[in-house]
Amino acid sequence: MKVPTRRPEEFLPLTPAMFHILLALADKERHGYHIMREVDERTEGNVKLGPGTLYGSIKRMMADGLIEELDERPDPELDDERRRYYRLTDFGFRVATAEAQRLEQMVRSARAKKLLPRTKSG
Amino acid sequence: MSRSVSKDTRWFLSIYSILLIAYPREFRQEYGSQMVLLLLDCQRDAPTAPARTRIWLRTLIDLVRTAPREHLEKIRKENTFMSNLRNDLLAIGGCVLIILAALLLLNYGRSHQVSSILFFGYVLDAIAFTGILGNLIVFLLIKLTRFRPLRIAFWTFLIVTLVPALAITLFAGRDPHFNAPNVLIGYVVSFFFWYGLHWLWSNKLRPSETV
Repeated sequence: MKVPTRRPEEFLPLTPAMFHILLALADKERHGYHIMREVDERTEGNVKLGPGTLYGSIKRMMADGLIEELDERPDPELDDERRRYYRLTDFGFRVATAEAQRLEQMVRSARAKKLLPRTKSG
Repeated sequence: MSRSVSKDTRWFLSIYSILLIAYPREFRQEYGSQMVLLLLDCQRDAPTAPARTRIWLRTLIDLVRTAPREHLEKIRKENTFMSNLRNDLLAIGGCVLIILAALLLLNYGRSHQVSSILFFGYVLDAIAFTGILGNLIVFLLIKLTRFRPLRIAFWTFLIVTLVPALAITLFAGRDPHFNAPNVLIGYVVSFFFWYGLHWLWSNKLRPSETV
């Protein structure tokens, strides 16, 4: 695995596809189709990753050390052996967190400008 | 995963496998089979024929959008490599030329007893010696470590200048023909010459800074 030497902030802003993939991998390791399905379900069909977008992003994120490929499949007996599983690295987790904080800050600004309704808590 | 696929799906998958040629070879070899497998899964899970058609259309649009991006990235990467290689060759060539010039000048001055050249003999000697050793170490350290190039150049030339200068002064100092101050001056000048050249290369001379 490549050891990242850069700070998480240097990767921001992430492309929407990259951020969605990091979110999909935040809770568990998944293969390509699983990532695609998770993004589709989480965004209620608004974001659909095509094969080129998905694997192009995976390639770049692997090169940057944000995600890594698993050596073993989590469930080899039930699964197609050709599938490759990916998981978030610690650095990928930090980059995803930094991006989420950046987006949160933008949403806060939008609220302050009354582009979004205020929440009950804030 | 034993669900059967329709004839249409198999036909479309074959077409998609061929269309993958639009991507760079390395990308295709690494992810081509995964992309076909992904599409097969999508097709299996699509409930109706119109849903399958929508997947195909989306996939084709995705291919048209992403294949040029992968090619552009590949070209950019190759350009960076070529640019770095060109810079490295230019830097190494420059150092070799300077060292050769110093050695030839020194040789000519000694064989013809040219006093104006021999006046700088200690400096030329030190420039040739520290140039060969120092630049070799600097080049290797820059390629093999992640330290800043200028910092590497500073410490390398400081060490390859100080160590031989002190060693020569200590061990050859008893020789009555040995001129310790001139040797030290030669090495000090050599240090500033080589470090200055590296500083200039890093800040001013480099033809194409890679991003």
